[in-house]
Amino acid sequence: MAAETVARGLGLARPGWQASLGVSWTVFVARLKIITRYKGAILLESFLPVFFAALPILLGTAVAGSEANAANNFFKNTSNAGQGTTQYRLYMLLGSSTFMVVSLMLWLIGYWVRREQETGTLESIYLAPAKKLHILIGVTSYSLVRSLTAFVVAMVIGSLLFGVNPLDGNLLAAIGYLILGIPALWGLSFIFGALIMRVKEANSVIQLVQWVVPFFMGVYFPVTMFPPLMRITAMAFPPTLMNDAMRSSLLNISSLYGPGYVVLGLMFMAAWITPLLGYEFFGIMERRIRRNEGVGQY
Amino acid sequence: MSKKVIVEYSRYPIAFIALFVQVFVIILLFMISSFAFSAPGTPGAELSQFAGMMTYGFVTSMFLGFTLWEIGFSLREEQVRGTLESLYLSPANKFSSLLSRIFAILLWTTVMCAAAVILVNLLVGGLPLQNVATGLFVLLFSISGFLGLGFLFAGVTIKLKETAQLLVNGLQFFFFIFSAQFFPFRVLPQPVRDYVSRWLPVSYAVDLFRTTLLGIPPELFPNDPLAEFGIVVAFGIASPILGYLAYLGFERQARRAGTLGEY
Repeated sequence: MAAETVARGLGLARPGWQASLGVSWTVFVARLKIITRYKGAILLESFLPVFFAALPILLGTAVAGSEANAANNFFKNTSNAGQGTTQYRLYMLLGSSTFMVVSLMLWLIGYWVRREQETGTLESIYLAPAKKLHILIGVTSYSLVRSLTAFVVAMVIGSLLFGVNPLDGNLLAAIGYLILGIPALWGLSFIFGALIMRVKEANSVIQLVQWVVPFFMGVYFPVTMFPPLMRITAMAFPPTLMNDAMRSSLLNISSLYGPGYVVLGLMFMAAWITPLLGYEFFGIMERRIRRNEGVGQY
Repeated sequence: MSKKVIVEYSRYPIAFIALFVQVFVIILLFMISSFAFSAPGTPGAELSQFAGMMTYGFVTSMFLGFTLWEIGFSLREEQVRGTLESLYLSPANKFSSLLSRIFAILLWTTVMCAAAVILVNLLVGGLPLQNVATGLFVLLFSISGFLGLGFLFAGVTIKLKETAQLLVNGLQFFFFIFSAQFFPFRVLPQPVRDYVSRWLPVSYAVDLFRTTLLGIPPELFPNDPLAEFGIVVAFGIASPILGYLAYLGFERQARRAGTLGEY
């Protein structure tokens, strides 16, 4: 009896895998419950990629003078950058929808950290006998469900509005690349969450990221149009790889990274390394903050 | 209150830097996008005319965006922190309290826009810049009109709470497209131009500001620039009044329902 008390009691017991899973599940369900109170948010975020794609489409038509010229010029310019296609509408739509997945993953984690700080519950979370990793898995899983929903809805609405057919390309491969890209996004959201915890001003950072991410992801153009140093930085960014892989399979164009097996290898590498790096970064940042001002201060 | 906002901002210097970088990134994003669609060997004058249209449109979009974001978002922050109700109990003027939230960010936006214009100027080798005084006068009335939208949106934030953030994002993109902030109105389909853009006062503000600076006739009223000027002035005067009245309506509703401090 005494041995059992010592082994399992006094708050020293380590939760088993079921309890850990329970933590992630509870966080996931709680976040979902909260967002179901704001149905308009879910609807609106599905339309955002469509607007985001419409901007360069209209801009391109204005620059080129007509839609036919826009397609021709886009083909010429993107061919020079190694990815020639006349289907610029689908190019933009796919880029914007993928960007929405990335953006929401980062945005929701950032806002979650900030909101917990502001409402004063972040410290309580740290006092709870649950691993941060499991809480983060719960939050990121929720972000993933929400962002994938927005992706699917945006692709359907955008395809109907712009008159494009994404089913012409290799849809299965594109879905495969999307799934393979998710662990890297998890890693990036850990990094982003840690940054928000450190910087504290979530709003501005999110607004900045909202534009920096599409810029480096090559949402509107192949990143090979950048000068060399910027190109290398952009190509090392995992969402750029995911975006490019999905585009190359759906639009039947060559990838900027090389043959299919290279892309696949790089995606596996990103899926393996980024979450580890992300969690490590989160841990380092968290320890530093706890040692200094504490996590609750904002 | 303005002082408090500035002090609060000064606590987050990274936010200022982030805003500044954001401007350059947006400009570069759209500039490179337009390069992707331009015919190889496009003459420099044509490119600079187009860049001017985009940049001056961008200036209006910055002011509109920040006005929409800032007032509503800062109210939302007060709601979340639980200080909104206390603020309402204080004997401070409600209008001043709303207006002061935007002062710091407007100052900063002005600096950022000036920097953006200089950046594009360097990138394309000279932007057309004419009728500066008239342009600034138009911009002043436009900002006043945007303030009205900001007040209205602040009321909507009290009502919608969390969804408001996405709504403002959606609205920003709505104006990007339907008020043709980054491209000329002529590329919008005729029905969109006639049945949506022409009904938005923001469209006239964007159109008049940029065509004044470019020294070309406005696109929405090419034969009667004075009429367009009248619309912008009327927008600048009526919008803050109507926006504030709408805000009061939302606020009264929330106070009656007891949801002012609720989030």
